[in-house]
Amino acid sequence: MSGMSKIVKTISGIAFPFITIYGLYIIAHGHLTPGGGFQGGAIVASGCAMILVSYGSIWTMNRVREKNLSILESLGAVCFILLALLGLGFGTVFFNNFLVGTNSLFGVVPAVGSGLANINTGGVIPLMNFAVGLKVIVGLFGIVLVMAYASRTKEGKK
Amino acid sequence: MILEGIHIILPILIVVAAAFAVLMKDLIAAAIAVAAMSLLLSLEFYILQAPDVAIAEAGVGACLTTAILVIAIKATKRMEEDA
Amino acid sequence: MSRRDITAVLSFSIVAIFFIFGALMIHPFGAPDETGMDDNIITNAQTETGANNAVTSVVFDYRGLDTLGETTILFTAVAAIIMIFRRLNK
Repeated sequence: MSGMSKIVKTISGIAFPFITIYGLYIIAHGHLTPGGGFQGGAIVASGCAMILVSYGSIWTMNRVREKNLSILESLGAVCFILLALLGLGFGTVFFNNFLVGTNSLFGVVPAVGSGLANINTGGVIPLMNFAVGLKVIVGLFGIVLVMAYASRTKEGKK
Repeated sequence: MILEGIHIILPILIVVAAAFAVLMKDLIAAAIAVAAMSLLLSLEFYILQAPDVAIAEAGVGACLTTAILVIAIKATKRMEEDA
Repeated sequence: MSRRDITAVLSFSIVAIFFIFGALMIHPFGAPDETGMDDNIITNAQTETGANNAVTSVVFDYRGLDTLGETTILFTAVAAIIMIFRRLNK
């Protein structure tokens, strides 16, 4: 797929930072507001797919290497499983929330009931959100990028 | 009262959009109909008080699926042939 | 009507009857039959996991193994697609 017209490129370039910020906000506030790693990652991947469709797959493939995407996705998965295993090591069982109640990083226990939200709560849940978010962003964008690049080669052969 | 009216109207619109997606000969229009169906479905999820599912449906169903379908249609043919 | 049409109409009506019975037997909106586990999670989620969002605390803490399975599914799908299309891209 080659790129689209200049209007589409400009508008998607303007909209892309806002979509990315919104998706990262949903990932970072996963333990406070609706959403989480998967939802925010899907939104950021949607923004990246918009850039891909408007600028063309060759332009994007020259800037983002597919190998790096694979490495980042594996990094997200390894971080997720490592956090679960740390629950086994520091706590009691697999997926134990060992950080809650320690008053250190993300370890504050919030007051019961609805009140002002504190972002420094949640134990390992925000860290798992970051890991899953990285994995979903890179995985979904990698799928779309690889498929678009494959369709480009077919067009070139024609 | 208004909420119940929306509860009746939204599933009908979802079915109409799905029927459009099946019946369209132009495959790009069918892909857009699928996207509209996903968007209406995410609105229905939001009304049913499941904002998590609504965000996931809007992101994956309405945007990424459409992008993949458009890329696939661009690599093949745009119009559906008569069987 | 051919035999195939009759078979199609019969199977469609049987499935429709099952769906209609299911829709009639559904409990009213927002009132599930068993509420023991819901109430337990709603009252204890904030103090046990420290997250204000009860849905996220269920997804990443109480039912963490489900999320691990979902992550595995996504990882396998992405790996398979990249494997197929990498060969096609060369």
